[in-house]
Amino acid sequence: MIFERGVVAVSDVQFGEQTELCDRILLLDKKGLSDFLLSLDDTMESCTVSITRPGDSTRILCVKDVVQPGCKVRGDRPGRGKRHVLENVTVVTCGKIVGYQEGIIDMSGAGALYSPFSRTFNVVLDIAVIPGLTPHEHEETVRKAGLAAAAFLGETSRSVTPETMQSFTALEELPTFPDLPRIVYLYMLLSQGLLHDTYVLGRNASEGLPRIIDPLILLDNAITSGNCVSACDKNTTWHHQNNPVLRELWQRHGRDLNFSGVVLTTEPIRLAAKEAGAQKSIALIQELKADGVILSKEGFGNPDADQMLLTRGLEQQGIKVVAITDEFAGADGFSQSLADSAVEADAVVSVGNANERVMLPPMQRLLGPVSDLSKLAGAWPHSLQEDGSLEVELQAIIGATNELGMQTLSCREI
Amino acid sequence: MSKQIERAGIPVVHACSIVPISKTVGANRILPTIAIPHPFGAPNKSPEEEKKMRKELVKKALKALATPIDEQRVFSSEQKKRNLDCL
Repeated sequence: MIFERGVVAVSDVQFGEQTELCDRILLLDKKGLSDFLLSLDDTMESCTVSITRPGDSTRILCVKDVVQPGCKVRGDRPGRGKRHVLENVTVVTCGKIVGYQEGIIDMSGAGALYSPFSRTFNVVLDIAVIPGLTPHEHEETVRKAGLAAAAFLGETSRSVTPETMQSFTALEELPTFPDLPRIVYLYMLLSQGLLHDTYVLGRNASEGLPRIIDPLILLDNAITSGNCVSACDKNTTWHHQNNPVLRELWQRHGRDLNFSGVVLTTEPIRLAAKEAGAQKSIALIQELKADGVILSKEGFGNPDADQMLLTRGLEQQGIKVVAITDEFAGADGFSQSLADSAVEADAVVSVGNANERVMLPPMQRLLGPVSDLSKLAGAWPHSLQEDGSLEVELQAIIGATNELGMQTLSCREI
Repeated sequence: MSKQIERAGIPVVHACSIVPISKTVGANRILPTIAIPHPFGAPNKSPEEEKKMRKELVKKALKALATPIDEQRVFSSEQKKRNLDCL
């Protein structure tokens, strides 16, 4: 069994009479898209569609999620058949802050170095909902709109021949290499309720995890982000769709390692649940006969405790762990950078210090709810300077310290 | 905060839901509580039971505060049971 992913590279996105892919240029019927989204959901009051391009003097504010457009072209089961995806283009949803932790994307200037979405064409949806919705309902409206818009745009790639076909073989059908270590990916999902939610195949990840999951399903958009958490280390839906750890494990299978499975686990809100979850994850990893584990994370603070519980427990069972984490080491980098630690955590990949401050230049165009600017996590009441510059911590930038390892940022001891 | 307040000579009980974090950070008196979003709350209990639980926690915290210690100490043997009750 294989799953194929046809990558259709887009060279520009422009507004047009209808939505279609024309010589690799994505033409977008602006009204068609907003009418489509409004027709799906009574709870949406308005949806303003904009396009941003790399290098634009544009700042996107209060970003909730980023989704890669695509469409399933063959197969009726998740993880089977073929999916086409549009590369270099995303759907970005933004809107009024309800969980007070959304982030920004700058399309140029100092901030553009830190977000992968500064380098993509973004179809930005600024969504307002009808009055009287609860925060959860508000987020649901926005989340579904992002997914629907990605499907709407992705439909243009259905009959196109992709430049690149990527083919992924089911793990049980890969040849095994007895001399190479068996490596399992332990994939932590933030799933705590309170607007910190992730969905696996449409179900809230706070139920039914930890579990072993077929990674082909993960490549086929199994995970949706519903997280209102700090922008720097929140895994957007796009990050889940493009998880680099998964791809790397497939590529290195037979070369450096045996890719031996994926376990999804949660980051719950009670210590007893964290301990029980860690025990179950460790048992599943033992079932997969792992020699080593790659452990990625989402968020910071209490998830550090989950990461350490897992690392300690696995190492005590003789299973080596490499953990990926960002750091909150203060603006000068001198503070304790994780909320929890363990001596067993002796192989940790740092993806950057989220407290580092950066001065972002003024931008000509601001998209999203401008009045909520100083409520971003990583900003403060005086973040906005008189000339329109914005001083923030990296924390405020979407994907700046992504804990799936999507970014090149790191930290080192000096 | 607890370290800074103790440096000023005032003893502190760190009442917290995720004990390993408190241990790592270096609080001296640690009182395990219920959950991250509601350290002193138990929304799945009746208001009467919740109040009783909360009062117990505060009493335990006061007792911990008055207990001399010479090393880091977690003040609860029933913490796991209570956490599991609330799951």
